[in-house]
Amino acid sequence: MPLTIDTTRFGPLEIEGEAVIEFPAGLIGLGGSRYALLANDEGAAIVWLQSIDDPSLALPVANPWQFFTDYEVKLSDSEAKRIGVTDPAAADVYVTVRATQPVEDCTANLRAPIVVSAGRGWQVINEADNAPMRAPLFANVAQPATAESAA
Amino acid sequence: MLIITRRPGERIMLGDDITIHVMEIVGNSARVGIEAPKSLPVYREEIWAAVKEENEASARAEADSMPRPAPDAGARV
Repeated sequence: MPLTIDTTRFGPLEIEGEAVIEFPAGLIGLGGSRYALLANDEGAAIVWLQSIDDPSLALPVANPWQFFTDYEVKLSDSEAKRIGVTDPAAADVYVTVRATQPVEDCTANLRAPIVVSAGRGWQVINEADNAPMRAPLFANVAQPATAESAA
Repeated sequence: MLIITRRPGERIMLGDDITIHVMEIVGNSARVGIEAPKSLPVYREEIWAAVKEENEASARAEADSMPRPAPDAGARV
């Protein structure tokens, strides 16, 4: 049976049971145990992770590989055991986005990705090198044709 | 805050399931071992605080700052 939540940002939304993601440990510092990913019509690489428990709580999250092609997620043994996911590449991975004005200055948290597998989600600490908490989201997106990018 | 003095090799129990081992003190660093149920996440405090701050900042995003969800967004995964 679908859940109806009256979200602060988007008004009432019907969430199908299978779209609900259980977060056994919530998000770090934010809590919440159930969230849903809200897709958009444009197929944009950034979607909203909406809390089911708190209608005012939602975070924009991105598929990291759309923005950081060589992004890597490395979990410690204890973290992999905790979430029961040994290969993050086999799960869905999202990174939280810090929205700023201007939008060109948005950053993503590559250090604490969200790993979703089989309807459950965990925010984990990424042990990989070069995984900053505030990575400029648009730094690696192709700039208007330059000699280098055309080559 | 509860303050307990421990020597290297001694331990602290948090309830029945969590053990904090004070392993060694070298200079001004303490090596601490933690035994906890595997479902319990353990963080270095400064990392936890920084991620919490990023999460809170992300959660302040306004609806129109990012692409809006589709009307049937909750039916799709």
